[in-house]
Amino acid sequence: MIFSLDLVTGALSLLFTVMILSYLIGDNPLFKVAVYLFVGVASGYAATIVIWQVLMPKLFLPTWNIIQTGDYSRMILLAAPWLGFAFILMKISPRLAGTARITMAYLVGVGAAVTIVGALTGTIIPQIEATVNFFDGAISKPADQMLEIALSGGVILLGTVTSLAYFHFGARQKPDGSAKRAGVINLLAWVGRVFIGSALGAVFAGVYAAALTALIERIASIVGFLMSIFGRS
Amino acid sequence: MRVITAVIAIAFGVLVLLGYFLPQELFPNAAGLQAVLLDWAVILAAAAALIGVFNLFSVHTEKIRRRKKDGIYSALLVMGLIAAFTLGLFLKPQHILMQSILLEGIIIPVEASLMGLLAVSLLYAAVRLLRRRADLMGVAFIATAALIFLGSITLPFGDLPLFGTLIRPWVSQVWALGGARGILIGVGLGALLTGLRVLFGMDRPYGGK
Repeated sequence: MIFSLDLVTGALSLLFTVMILSYLIGDNPLFKVAVYLFVGVASGYAATIVIWQVLMPKLFLPTWNIIQTGDYSRMILLAAPWLGFAFILMKISPRLAGTARITMAYLVGVGAAVTIVGALTGTIIPQIEATVNFFDGAISKPADQMLEIALSGGVILLGTVTSLAYFHFGARQKPDGSAKRAGVINLLAWVGRVFIGSALGAVFAGVYAAALTALIERIASIVGFLMSIFGRS
Repeated sequence: MRVITAVIAIAFGVLVLLGYFLPQELFPNAAGLQAVLLDWAVILAAAAALIGVFNLFSVHTEKIRRRKKDGIYSALLVMGLIAAFTLGLFLKPQHILMQSILLEGIIIPVEASLMGLLAVSLLYAAVRLLRRRADLMGVAFIATAALIFLGSITLPFGDLPLFGTLIRPWVSQVWALGGARGILIGVGLGALLTGLRVLFGMDRPYGGK
């Protein structure tokens, strides 16, 4: 009997879906088998992607080319990553693991710089601009549109400011040793709780809809596979 | 070693940061240097990921060796890891067998099923939230989620009037957006501060005090 690749893929997909969904009746060995196998396979797969798509084109192949051509002046650019690679491999040995700190320090330093720029240009500035720009050109609009913009923009501005106030944990210490936030901040934070609750509720609704779609897709795939096996489509 | 690691983190962090902010006309080499440093970081992060996979492998082989409880599951994990790694190393990840068997047969179905399980756990969590923490934030949370659901669902007798056209868009695009923007700016400020603390040497997550 010849098995097609699609049949094997479908059967595996069905098997793993049923094993994972069996968690609905409680934690059980089938679920554990599926999860452990998934972690192993996904890690192995990720490792091969790292090797073939990062290390091979950026480190191994360029080094091989240099060795073949004998143009060792180009090796300067690869010496540092090879050194870092060697240091980080030391992590395998508990005695030499400390050497890997040098590579980790490099990664943390570069990561911190990228994080600073990402936070500034990707989040803080665009979000502030979007909040401010909402009011742009409102003054030249007809009265009803101006009111709508002012109301919506005002609510967004209020939500942004009060949500930020909620995360302000600065407090003055009282003579009895207790600490309390300033009255205005406390009031803003109280309003901010409503906005934060609403924002998380909206995120919850989105994630729930996505999860429900995934569940329906999985059930549909099981039904589709079984129907294709039994000759009905 | 503590001083050396701090100097490396701060020096290379500042060099990368300068590449973003220095004008190209005045410092033509800054962007090139930054690109080289980022390329090195990508290579080293890949090496760190490999070490992470090796660590997973060694932790579970140790569990098998010591015949710990649930060692059978660790054996399955190790077998899956070795099989996927060996196949991927020889066939490459783009090979049809890797894509069909590993990706479409195991990885994607398990991820999608886990996502599907989330639908049930989220519902359970929402009910627990209502029972255990019916305060202002909890009520706002549930009310917003309910309004968005009511505006999104299609009922047998048709859509609910105003919910889909007015209430849901306003709640999600104005009311909840205000809170989301505050949270996002807060997260951005936190990330900015964490990065600055590393560059000033106040935090040293790579080791050392």
